[in-house]
Amino acid sequence: MFKVVGVVGAGTMGQSIAEMLAAKGLDVHLVEKTPEKLQQAKEMIEQSLDRQMERWAITGAEKKLTLNRLHMETSLQHLSDCELVIETISEDLDSKKDVFQQLDRIVPQDTVLASNTSTLSLTELAGASQFPERVIGMHFVYPAVRIDVVEIIRGLQTSDSTFDKTKRFTEEVLNKSGVMVYESPGFVTTRLICLLINEALHLLEEGVASPEDIDSAMSIGYQFQHGPLEMADRFGLDSVLAALDRMFREYGELKYRPSFLLKKKVRAGHLGIKSGVGFFKYGKDGERIS
Amino acid sequence: MNILVINAGSSSLKYQLYNMKTEDVLAKGRVERIGMDSSILTHEVENQPEVREVSEILDHTTAIKKVLDMLTHRKFGVLRNIQDIQAVGHRVVHGGESFSESVLVDQNVKLEIRKLFDLAPLHNPAHMMGIVAVEANLPNVPQAVVFDTAFHQSMPPSSYLYAIPTVLYRKHQIRRYGFHGTSHDYVSKRAAEFLGRPLEKLKLISCHIGNGASCAAILHGKSYDTSMGMTPLEGLMMGTRSGDLDPAVVPFAINKEDLTLNEVNSMLNKHSGLLAISGISSDMREVVEAMNDGNDKAKLAFEMYAYRIRKYIGSYVAAMDGVDAILFTAGVGENSAPLREAVCRGLTFFGVHLDADRNAVRSSETRRITTDDSGVSVLVVPTNEELLIARDTYRLVKDKTAVESRF
Repeated sequence: MFKVVGVVGAGTMGQSIAEMLAAKGLDVHLVEKTPEKLQQAKEMIEQSLDRQMERWAITGAEKKLTLNRLHMETSLQHLSDCELVIETISEDLDSKKDVFQQLDRIVPQDTVLASNTSTLSLTELAGASQFPERVIGMHFVYPAVRIDVVEIIRGLQTSDSTFDKTKRFTEEVLNKSGVMVYESPGFVTTRLICLLINEALHLLEEGVASPEDIDSAMSIGYQFQHGPLEMADRFGLDSVLAALDRMFREYGELKYRPSFLLKKKVRAGHLGIKSGVGFFKYGKDGERIS
Repeated sequence: MNILVINAGSSSLKYQLYNMKTEDVLAKGRVERIGMDSSILTHEVENQPEVREVSEILDHTTAIKKVLDMLTHRKFGVLRNIQDIQAVGHRVVHGGESFSESVLVDQNVKLEIRKLFDLAPLHNPAHMMGIVAVEANLPNVPQAVVFDTAFHQSMPPSSYLYAIPTVLYRKHQIRRYGFHGTSHDYVSKRAAEFLGRPLEKLKLISCHIGNGASCAAILHGKSYDTSMGMTPLEGLMMGTRSGDLDPAVVPFAINKEDLTLNEVNSMLNKHSGLLAISGISSDMREVVEAMNDGNDKAKLAFEMYAYRIRKYIGSYVAAMDGVDAILFTAGVGENSAPLREAVCRGLTFFGVHLDADRNAVRSSETRRITTDDSGVSVLVVPTNEELLIARDTYRLVKDKTAVESRF
């Protein structure tokens, strides 16, 4: 079973995945291009652990142990010992392909290469590797520390053994449910949630209800932890827009066409939690203030 | 006969090797960080410097192998070869309702322990790994399992049931089990010897006060009630555990603070107790020190801690309609004279008269800390769970050999 895991890309998702893996007792190598970004990622992870300490989820000793297992690297070369590498850089096909080609030259042949992509074609990504049978998708839901489901995506050439290893790792080591999905834009989670968010935006545009009421109706009515608009704020409105755009292009169906309101918000830089304002306002720690 | 006692955790393993003829500890030690490439084995033999070895130990089987290698090591070992280990005894936290005494390991016993994983998800799987690891390394050596819960299986339903719909008990075995049974059992026997009276005639209250803490009402040698429940969270205030609280606090806090189940579990188990109230430490020594330096929060933590022990003692006096002796044991109970004093201070009405000088004595012997004319004796009885595990294992193996030789 994998004990040493590489995470490529220390953005929001990369941080969350790396922190979760280290907290589960695995040795994690987190790779980002520049020392500045890496430093920032480290600080964010420390902040996240501090927040969990404040919420009594972990103790000071557990925080230290988790940080000790987290190694920050600026080069993919440091991943040569990894038995699993999870790629989670920005959703750009060419950059992702480039990462897979480089990893081919660094990691052993039986290392599993996983992508955290939510909308790109896994089969196409796998094609960039010399050994496409070892490429698989592991789509975590943010925040990876708290949400216990992973979509495990099979590309056309993904081997059974790669899938089995990944599924067992997900369930036995990470204690998360592994849902098997075949390649399709948005898989299950992104496709359904983005449609819900988009429809909530249409409601808002049409003046049917206020943002607060839309969210209350759904969170209370259907036991969502957050309503669709706050969810969008938490994912990042730019990410939601990118996912909808891609699904709109791939499926060609109007239902995926991003609402104009969403585009306007992104253009205005109202991206949700990460910019402090989206449909609602947020404090420094991501807590909602209005 | 030499007996190896194993206490296996999920990433650690403690061991003690006993010579049962003399009940001497030949060697003891621990393996930490199992599953890592830099695991540490610490090995101690009396009157010799401690040995530390760092190596890659990825699983319990390798850990046991390393321990056996160390025990038979040319320089640090105490045995000529591993055939000199005649039996192995394991500590197992949860025996559920299936085990009311120690047993030898066979297929059925292993199956039963597996069935109990649900009730002790942190402990029993680790103990199982220890048992399987010994099997792999010492295939023909008999193994015994000694349960923390077994001693309390004598509790009557009026003690062990929760007053909630009984379907929960029938479907999920939700009931009180109690823990530290090995220790409560051991110290009550030692106390009877010390008092020179038959255990069957005594009403005892034993207070196992360590990192975890529990009281037991021991009526005529059998556990009648104990403060820990389905899990070790119930009962006394502990180092980092809350002990008793209104169950409605849990959903209320979850709601107010938007907590997950994991977070609230961790809060009650790791962020509460002495640590939460004192804001200083979960360690009684540090709390007492801070209290003596005039720290008010430390004083409050200390007083709450002592008060809750006293309340349990009071309730167990009522439960048994009297008490002959109160016993203190485990890390804090054996070593903290201020705590014993604070607990006993409020027990004078039913005849506890502490002798301050006796209470201040530090010793590893069983001793009385009340005056000679005290109506109820209070004893400090050093516990030794490993020795009891070794003794149970010895008895079971000897009985089995006796039975087999009859045929």
